[in-house]
Formats: sequence, structure tokens, C-alpha cells
Amino acid sequence: MSDPMPAAEAGSREAATGGATVQSRPREASSIELEGLHKRFGRDTVALDGVDLTIEAGEFFTLLGPSGCGKTTLLRILAGLEEPNDGRLKIGGKDVTDTPPHRRSVNTVFQSYALFPHLSVRDNLAFGLRMRGEPAAERNRKVAEVAEFIQLGSLIERHVDQLSGGQRQRIALARALICEPDVLLLDEPLSALDAGLRGQLQVELQRLQKRLGMTFVFVTHDQDEAMVMSDRIAVLDSGIIQQVGTPSEVYEHPANAFVARFMGHDNLFAISRSEADWVETELGRLTLEPAEQRAEQDGWLLIRPETLELGPEVPEGYNRLEGIVRERLYRGSRIEYRLEVNGQPLMAMASNLGQRMHAVGDSVTISVCPEDLVRVAS
Amino acid sequence: MRKRTLNRGLAGFWWLTLIFLYLPLAIVVLFSFNSTNSAANFTSFSLRWYHRLLGNEQIISAFYNSLVLACVSSIVALVIGCLIGYGMYRHRHRKLGWLIVLIYLPIVLPDIVFGISEMAFFVQFNRLTGLLEPGLGTMIIAHVTFQIPFVALIVYSRFVGLDPSLFEAAKDLYASPFKRALHFLLPTLKPALISAFFLSFTLSIDDFVISFFTAGPESATLPIYIWGAIKKGVSPEINAIATLMIGAVALAAILSLLFNRQGRR
Amino acid sequence: MANTQLVTRRHAVVSETRHLLFSVMPGALWIFIFLVLPSLYLMAVAFMTNGSYGLPELPLSLDAFKQLAGFGFLGWSPGNLYTLLRSLWQTLVSTALVVVVAYPIAYYITTCRAKLRPLMLLAVVVPSWTNQVIRAFGWMNLLAPGTPLSDAAQALGLIGDYMGLYPSNFAVTLGLVYNFLPFMVLPLYAAFEKLDVAQVQAAQDLYASPMRAFWHAVFPQTLPGLLAGTVLVAIPAFGMYVIPELLGGGKGMMLGNLVANQFAGGSNWPLGAAGALLMLLATFVGLFAMRRIGKRLGGGEEVVI
Repeated sequence: MSDPMPAAEAGSREAATGGATVQSRPREASSIELEGLHKRFGRDTVALDGVDLTIEAGEFFTLLGPSGCGKTTLLRILAGLEEPNDGRLKIGGKDVTDTPPHRRSVNTVFQSYALFPHLSVRDNLAFGLRMRGEPAAERNRKVAEVAEFIQLGSLIERHVDQLSGGQRQRIALARALICEPDVLLLDEPLSALDAGLRGQLQVELQRLQKRLGMTFVFVTHDQDEAMVMSDRIAVLDSGIIQQVGTPSEVYEHPANAFVARFMGHDNLFAISRSEADWVETELGRLTLEPAEQRAEQDGWLLIRPETLELGPEVPEGYNRLEGIVRERLYRGSRIEYRLEVNGQPLMAMASNLGQRMHAVGDSVTISVCPEDLVRVAS
Repeated sequence: MRKRTLNRGLAGFWWLTLIFLYLPLAIVVLFSFNSTNSAANFTSFSLRWYHRLLGNEQIISAFYNSLVLACVSSIVALVIGCLIGYGMYRHRHRKLGWLIVLIYLPIVLPDIVFGISEMAFFVQFNRLTGLLEPGLGTMIIAHVTFQIPFVALIVYSRFVGLDPSLFEAAKDLYASPFKRALHFLLPTLKPALISAFFLSFTLSIDDFVISFFTAGPESATLPIYIWGAIKKGVSPEINAIATLMIGAVALAAILSLLFNRQGRR
Repeated sequence: MANTQLVTRRHAVVSETRHLLFSVMPGALWIFIFLVLPSLYLMAVAFMTNGSYGLPELPLSLDAFKQLAGFGFLGWSPGNLYTLLRSLWQTLVSTALVVVVAYPIAYYITTCRAKLRPLMLLAVVVPSWTNQVIRAFGWMNLLAPGTPLSDAAQALGLIGDYMGLYPSNFAVTLGLVYNFLPFMVLPLYAAFEKLDVAQVQAAQDLYASPMRAFWHAVFPQTLPGLLAGTVLVAIPAFGMYVIPELLGGGKGMMLGNLVANQFAGGSNWPLGAAGALLMLLATFVGLFAMRRIGKRLGGGEEVVI
């Protein structure tokens, strides 16, 4: 990789990061373009049904969806481990659709880590470099660099079966990074870890990606994980991209009911009629912002629980609903109310600021601002 | 109360069975040290039959033949069986029923049918072409034929036990197909290849029926020699050579025990 | 665009097939040339006539099969049929005896401490690692006339004077049981290891006596192991050569010896081939029957060595 920065600046950057690292040179990150990808297994199973996608250079991009939605297949096509039946793939502007994986400058962190059991940790790390024919001195230097970068310490000298799950994950990551790929692919790398470690590694991975400036493509089925780590998310279902957007776009303005439900939204109400600035739903008639309005007569209305206010005072212009508290769940920092309005279940979430909690069975007035109502397509 | 008598009875039965299993071998070993020729009375301790053994050129040549046959056939079978085991794994989602049948055929066939088929085939082939006279060559061919399935199955099951993403990781890390074979497949297979070689070697050394029917006049192996000696009438050296072979088996048993203990650690 | 894709895809399919052929063909060809062809030839020989020097000649005929059934020069003699019946009988008896001995042994091993078990299994298996000729020879030593065992048998009036326990049918049976015992112990042991003890306890809870608990709760669970063991014992036993030859003498002849003799001195290749064909048939019928029973039992274990 060429280094466009003059030597002096590069030196000061090195000083700033505390020591020379392989990745202290600025990266020329690569963008990814997918055009019309189709993938079929056997005669009946369609894994990808016409996927078009552009991933910006240097992005942390996540493919999100339930099992079988095609996200892993898409990742494997990026890696070169699967060939699409139709469509093209470009990395850094270069068409690599027909390039075999061992000639693509793309590396993968596998879900099962796939560390070679017959090699030591050091030899695992150096494997890709060795296959590319780099001399021993180079390899040793890079192994030392990446070990420091990822803080592997004494793990280097161990053998693979002496490592814990979290340690293996770091080695798998280091093994991929040491090859300085244009794109790093991660196939649900955190799914086998316990919750505490997972949370910690989510933050570390995100920091790492920002520091490296490398394009990451991450696959997960956990929407919280996706929102924490990503610059942008693509939600997939049945081989089709349902929505691409930033975490806030996907969470606050889901494109359709599938995305809404997948992101964890419960308060979805079918729309039976729609006029200029109001909609008719199972909850009753609610006004919303004209900007949010659509031409279609059907669809869903999404109400985020955190936007509902419970109390007798209804602010000017707000929608007003009457309901009964059916359940109350104390969640420490928040209080979750399961309400019933017009026979429909409605969930509300209130921050715990020490106010009086509503009791089960209480009648309660609910206010919601029209700006907070979101229309979701079918 | 009943359970205890049952357990005592079972334990007794166990020891009886062990005696049953080891008695014939023990007698052979015992009488190999007999100073007289008698099979019924043990006279006194002597090593004379072992001395006779060392001077017996036929036995030495039979031993040599057994070793060469086992080594050569095992190596050939290792190569062919390894290839086929890998092919079976790599293409396991295809319908390869015919291949499975071919592989199981040598295992399933009774060894007498196997041996006679080979003999008939080689004799006629020799008559027609003058090649493949009965001898070490034909024996090697026959041995390789029954060794290939064992090697293939051992290699195949070793592959099946691997994490499939290891293959993909090797591709992902820039290994071309040739380099994958050299730096990933072979090192991973090493223990399986060693045990496959060991198994093939043992099967070959131990074989009698197939060797017997494919052997030529100069290519007697140790089991064939022993057979001939038994048929001619009991020659006391047989006890000695049999004892040596039993000793080799005992050694293998001890080694395998130690090997397993080490592996467990 | 699409064309280059199609071309590369076709290329990929071709190279996959080439890979399959390259890896699989050497072994497949080898087995085909050196086993399938010879076996087919042998089967063909069964339908030929016995020529000079015992080598087969055309024309085709069914003479060999008639001879196998006993029709020789001097009319019909029952010798061959006796041999066939003896083969069946020995197979049945030895298999049954092997089961009777292996069952308690396999069970007993599972009742011992876990550390001892591999050692015990090794002890059972090691004798089978010795050469079968040596094993038969060992029994010849033990059962010969004048040995303590034979003397005892004489005293009991089981055999005549100056005779030994070998050569005889009894010696052959003994040799077969000795040979095949480990092959039944191992699968039965595996079955006992996997035993669901809860079923036995349930049976006892439901008023079953120990005998009945065994028959209804233990025995059915060991059936897959029993089946696997039977495949490993009965089918090879039918085609045994060495043991009946050494321990049976002239009187203990089984099918394997009958076949082998036709390719030795007084040769008659077609007759031998006919016998071999019969043996092959018995083997495949036996395997097929075992597979059927295995399927009926529901997931019988594959016999992979």
C-alpha cells in the first residue's frame, strides 16, 4: 500500500500512537459495490434475490437479519468463498467477481474462529503472510506489531487449544488484520461469547475500526449489536435488502413492518384509513406530521414507547389516548408499562426519575406528539 | 445379596475367559523354551530352537519378504487411499454410491474368495501376457487392494471431524490449492496418516490366506512359512518363531497403551 | 458480461469434476481392475468346463454346480452337501457360543472402574492381533493326543483311546469361537456403555423381576450392538479356511476348504469357482439380511472398522 504522507508527518503519527505499528500508516480504504447479486442453492433455495449495495470506503457496515436471510451468503460472496449465479462485485473499483479467495485482498474473521489446530498461535498469525511469500524477517516483525496492536502479550507463544473463547477471537482478528486487507469481513464473531465479554469487544472492535480506517463488513442477527457498532446497517430478509441506513434511520424510521419488528418495535398498529394529517388505527384516530404522511391507505403506525407521556396534562397539539395499566415492569433505570387502549396493547417506557409510578389497574391519560408518530409501509 | 453373587460369578467368568484367551498362546511360548521336541511334556529350559531359528535361511528370507511386502504395499496404499479419502470428503454431497460400494468391497469379501480371485486372475493374465508371475509383485498388488479401503476410511473420517471453515480460512489467507495441500491438509492429516500406515502394515504382516494364494515359489512370507511347517509335521522351531511374533504383538499392545496414556495428557 | 460469467462458471464445474476424477479415480480404478474384474472372472469360471490341468475351458456348462451338489462320476455322493451343511452348522453354533460368552464379558467390563476398562478391552482384543495361523497352531498344541485336555476327555469317555480333541468338529468350533470372540465383545461393550439405565429402573419400578427387567429393558437396547457383532462374526465365519483346515483335519471340512482344494493339487477350477460363488451369495444375503434387521431396529449402527 502506498504511503502518500510525507515522512515527517508519518513519524509524528507514529509517536502519537506510542510506537510503530503496521497500521499507523493511513489507509486507503476500499469501497464495495454490489450489483444485481443473485445466489441460488440447488434448485429451490434462493439465498440472494437481486442485491444492489454500495459500501463506502472506511465504513463500519453491518449486515443484519434473521437466520437464513442471506447475510452470511453475502459475506461469503465478498470473501470469494461463494460465487454468485448472477451479478458483479467490485472492491476498490476493481471487478473481483471471478477472483478466487486466495487472490483477493479481503480477509475474514470466521464465526468459529477457524484457527489451525496443528499450528501455534504465532504460526497461525503468520500463515497468510507465509502463503504470500513474505520472508521470515518481515513476518516476524509484523507478528510482533500486530501482537502489540491487539495487545496479545504472552498469548503468542501458546498453543491454540490452550486459549479461551475470547482469546481465540482476538487471535482470529489479528490473523486477518496482519494481512492488511482492503476489506475486513466479520461473520458473527461475537456470538459465541458471554454477554459481558461481548459488550466489551463490541466497543473495542468499533474503536479498532476507527483507528485503522479500514472498511469493515460485519454480520449479526442482534439488532442492538448492530446499532452500537455500525456506521450504516443493511437489514435483510429472504435474500432481499429491506432497508439501508444509519442506526438512527433504521431504528426511528423503519422502511417496513419487517424492519420495525426486527428492530424490536412492538407498538405497531394497522392503519385502516389515511387522510391529510391523520390516520385511523385500532387505537383510534391520531394526527401526525404531514411530512410523515403517505399516499397509501394502508400500512402501519409505529409509536416508540419512550415517546409516550403518562399523566393528566396533555400538551397543546398532542394526541390524547385513554388507557388502563395492565402490567408494570420495573427495569431499574426505566419503568415499562404495558397498557391497554381501546382493547389494544400499548407499551410505554418512562425514565425512572423518582416520580410516582402508576399502579396496575389505574386509568391513565397518554399523550403522544404527532412528530413522534412514524408511518411504516407493509 | 443377589447382586453380590452375580458380580462374583461374573468376575469368575471373566478370569476363566482370560485363561481361555491366553492359554494357547502361553503354551506356544512355554514350549518354545522346551529342550526336547515334545509337544506334551516340558522337559527343561533351553534356547536351542531359537538358535536353530537364526540359522534357518528360509525363515530369515520369509521374514524379509514379510517386511518388504508390508512396507511397499502400505506406502502405495497410503498414497492411493489418501487421495480417495480426500476425494470422498470433498465431494461428499454428490451421489457417490458406486464409490462406497467399491471401497467396501475388499472389506466385505471373504478372504478366500479374494485370494482365489486374485490367483485365478494373475495366472490367466500371466498365461496371456507373460507378465505378473506369482511372486512379491502379485502379493503387493493384492495387499494394496485390501489396504486402500482402510486408509480411505481413516482419512475420510479425519476430514469429517474437522471444522469446515478451516478450509475456507486457508483460502482466505492466500493459500493456493497446492499450498493448501502442502501447508494445511497434510499437516492436519499427519496423525491419521500414521495410524493408517500402521494399520495397513499390521494387516499385511498378519495376512495369510491372500498371501498364500498370490505367492510365488520364492516369495513365502512368515505366515506362509509357518503354515508349511505345520503342514509338514510339527517342527519345534515353529514355537520359537510363533513366540517371537506373539512378542511383537505384546510389544505393540504395550506401545499402544503408552501412546494412549500420553495422548490423554 | 454475462458470457464471461457463464464461461467461468462452466470452467469451475469442469475443474471440480476434474478434481473428483483425479482424487478418486486411481483408487477406484485399482479396486476395479484388481478386485472387481478378478471376481467377475471367477464367477464366469463357475460356468465353464473343467479342462486339462484343472484350468477352465469353454464351452459353458452348469457341470460345476452339479458337482457342487454332489453329482460326480460315480453318481451322487453326499460329501459336498455335508460340507455345506457343516459350514452352516459351524457358523450358527460358533456365533451362538460367541454371543453367550461375549455378553457377560461385555457387561462385566462396564461394571468395572472406568480406568480399568480400556485395559480390560485391550486384554480381550490383543489375542486377535496374533496371526490366525499361530492361534490355530496354539490350539493344535493344546488339543493334540496325549495332552492333558485330551487325556481328561478320554477319561470322561468323550473320545476314544489314543485320540485327541483335535482334529474334530469340536476343535473347529472352539477355534472359531476363540477367533471371533473379540469382534462380538467390542460392539456389545459399546452398546452397554450407551445403556439408558433409567429404563431398567423404570422396569423395576413397574414390578419387573431382575430376569424380566433384563429381558425387557436391557436386552432390547443391546440389540444394535448384537447385530453389529453378528455381522462381524457370522459372515466371516462361514468363509473360514485356516481354522477348519488345521483343526478339522479331513473330517472338519467347510466350504472354504472345499473351494481352496479345487485350486490346489487335484484341480477343478470351475467347481471351486462355483463354491466361491455360493460363498459370495451367502455373504451378500447375510449382509442384506442384517441391514434389513438393522433398519427394523431403527438406526442400527453402521459397521465401520
